[in-house]
Amino acid sequence: MSQNGQSNRLLVGIVVILLVALCGAVCVGGAAMLFLMQPSDGSVRPASATAVAVAPSGKNILRLPGAMGGGDPDTLDPARVSDARSSEYVVEIFSGLVTLSPDLKVVPDIAERWEVSQDRKTYTFYLRQNVKFHDGRPVTAQDFKYSIERAANPALASPTAEDYLGDIVGVKEKLARRAAEVSGVQVVDDYTLKITIDAPKSYFLAKLTYPTAFVVDKNNVERGGRTWTDKPNGTGPFKLKEYVRAQRIVLARNENFYLDPKPSVDEVYFIIGGGSFMTMYENGDLESVFVSLSDIERASDPSSPLNKELSISPQLNTHFIIFNTRKPPFDDVKVRQAFALAINRQQIMDVVYRKMPLLADTILPPGMPGYVEPSSSLEYNPARAKQLLAESKYADKLPDITWTTTGAGGSAAQDVQAVTAMLKENLGVTVSIQQTDFGTLINQTHAPSGNPYQMYDMGWIADYADPQDFLEILFHSNSAQNRSWSAYSNPAVDQLLDQAGAETDTTRRFALYHQAEQMILADYPVIPLMHSRDYWLTKPYVKGMIYPALIIPRLRYVSLER
Amino acid sequence: MGTFILRRLLWLPVLLFFVSVITFALGLYGPGDPVQVMLGLHANPETVARIRQEYGLDEPFYVQYVNYVKNVLQGNFGYSLVRYRDQPVGRLIAEHLPVTVQLNLCAIVVGILIGVPLGLIAGLYRDRWIDLAVRAVVIASISLPIILLNPVLSFIFFREHIVFVPLLDRLVSIGPLLPQVAGRWEGVLSPKAILPVLIEATGVIAILTRQMRAGMIEVLSEDYIRTARAKGLRERVVIVRHAMRNALIPIVTLVGLMLGGLVAGSFLVESWFDVPGVGRIAYEALFARDYYVIMALTLLIALAYVLANLLVDLMYGFLDPRIRTMG
Repeated sequence: MSQNGQSNRLLVGIVVILLVALCGAVCVGGAAMLFLMQPSDGSVRPASATAVAVAPSGKNILRLPGAMGGGDPDTLDPARVSDARSSEYVVEIFSGLVTLSPDLKVVPDIAERWEVSQDRKTYTFYLRQNVKFHDGRPVTAQDFKYSIERAANPALASPTAEDYLGDIVGVKEKLARRAAEVSGVQVVDDYTLKITIDAPKSYFLAKLTYPTAFVVDKNNVERGGRTWTDKPNGTGPFKLKEYVRAQRIVLARNENFYLDPKPSVDEVYFIIGGGSFMTMYENGDLESVFVSLSDIERASDPSSPLNKELSISPQLNTHFIIFNTRKPPFDDVKVRQAFALAINRQQIMDVVYRKMPLLADTILPPGMPGYVEPSSSLEYNPARAKQLLAESKYADKLPDITWTTTGAGGSAAQDVQAVTAMLKENLGVTVSIQQTDFGTLINQTHAPSGNPYQMYDMGWIADYADPQDFLEILFHSNSAQNRSWSAYSNPAVDQLLDQAGAETDTTRRFALYHQAEQMILADYPVIPLMHSRDYWLTKPYVKGMIYPALIIPRLRYVSLER
Repeated sequence: MGTFILRRLLWLPVLLFFVSVITFALGLYGPGDPVQVMLGLHANPETVARIRQEYGLDEPFYVQYVNYVKNVLQGNFGYSLVRYRDQPVGRLIAEHLPVTVQLNLCAIVVGILIGVPLGLIAGLYRDRWIDLAVRAVVIASISLPIILLNPVLSFIFFREHIVFVPLLDRLVSIGPLLPQVAGRWEGVLSPKAILPVLIEATGVIAILTRQMRAGMIEVLSEDYIRTARAKGLRERVVIVRHAMRNALIPIVTLVGLMLGGLVAGSFLVESWFDVPGVGRIAYEALFARDYYVIMALTLLIALAYVLANLLVDLMYGFLDPRIRTMG
């Protein structure tokens, strides 16, 4: 065979492969372009024609890392939001009857004022008459009626309708297809809306601050089809100017916003992709950045220039080690107590977490209404722990214990490892660690047959600023969440929680919750570990930037003064 | 040849069927549930049941599967359930796949341009210092976990550095040497793509260098090379025309197989360097149990590998007449 023939073949071969690859790339790209240019639902965003090398650094543009460390929001539909990341954007684009002030109080939003009936079950909201959707259409009570009906429509499959609107008469019936209309929402006139709830509930207004109850534009929703949120027509302080998935979200100031202060920055540019946010901040490409564990020492060093730009924002959450009180050996309170006393939590805060979070000695986080500062820290006493374990019914036949935790990879989180090492050292108990991903953990803990885990760790983040959200939801024996938590049951605690729920006097109510909290802690269904704190760096020329513990519309308070 | 292609293509639907059934079943029967992920800690059983019913997730496996296939045959790949809620899966992939394909293609081209010459040199100077150096660098570069590489590269290229220059006798500010994507990806031909392409290329370089080196060593020991040298051909001609061309045959095969991986994105590289590729979508979808997104991506990857394999088989017979027996 001739050498030439073969080398020609080779050449042809290489060319063919490259051609096929090229064609493949072109086809995929072309198909994508065609697909993207389909005008069918009118929701396709053209790529920005004015792409520049880095994020635009205009005078009045606020540049931030994407909410919750970046990543796309699950959805921008207020009625379908169920995660914190999406809420951060939704509360800026949309708004509702009431909202939270920076100090987390329920304050008027589109509703200028409201009246509560004698039986505390009927709320009459009087709407501001100058509120317009971003496209200029005035907002009326009918729009709220439409929005609540829509959220309660079972076909929408709202993940939050029960939790946030379920107190309104008729919402649960409509979700269950037993009613066509929500009877508890009535339009009195264009600017008056009446909402009736099933029982007096002191936390009802707080629930209305969540996006599920926000107002949406019927035309926008119905014309936009399933992807209407690509071009949302909201009422909030900012409009969605541009959303390029996996890249950026750009909000623009709503000139006609109805509350003071009106938004000051022209645009807010969120980088939702990824990259090194800290480097961008230090290079002057971001106005504010969160500080991760790896940068915390550098940022909190008083001699570092970064230190002057650091602010600390305590969060309304508590991270717990949770014992399943239905599973041996944790059905014995002495075992639970022994474990609690054998863990040096302060050391974990100092060494593993470098003092970033606050050590938790209560169930309620500081800042939560009803929080009472404890007089002393929870006990750490290895000697007594050993004694308690010896007194327990599992003294000489302790079953195998597995701690389930979220994570993947070679080794578990450092805090889990530290705790198991302490249990080994102080109690002589070997706890094996099982790692699983969040999806599996939720699937197992919420299994209809009951939570199969012996112990796991999990945080609870406040949904609204009321102690009921922690104490009743996590520890009342009738609460669905309690079944997947520690399955804790104490009739005395249940009675206190019921009493507190019905109490109208705030001081007495909080006292009852505090009493319940003390009883729960004494039974050790959980060990509180920490309340997290967010660390932020903000450029000195940025004024009014706040990092509240709950998600509230906050960007309208920000101004740039270079 | 024609029947060979036809036979392989006829197997394609069968293969896709098995891939889709297995993936679908794993999604449905594996641990985790998209509705529970969506609801997080608020996943009380009543709400979960209501939403599952609305999405048709409470139907028996075969009903869901048949519905899915019916829709796919009509070009509808369904909607994202969790992470990109309500977005058509087809559109999600159409938006992000081209980025990944371009990135991977660039990485393969860069990998060929660097890996082949390196392997050639290493093979020619077998066991000499240059061979050892090439092998050391290649092994080191594939062994370095990308998780370690990222902060180092970010530090070097993305930051401003103040350095003392003795000749000028003063401090000089240098950098950042490369721009970050910062939410604006401008395609693989922009300087923003340099780092992600290089990192994606390291694997290609390592594979091709090793193969090229081994190929050269093997070919150089063949009888016809001895003959060529014996008849007095110049060494350059022997190497380029006789040895290298034959050593390139397995390289073509390897590159052909790599084309199958074009559609698979890399989560790590994409998220660290802010590349809006399909790898990030896949990662998010997997952890959220976002069934339909996972299904579509799995089918796409399977399809790409089948076609790449077919291509390689065809090329093999074409390039090496000794194998061409199945025609």
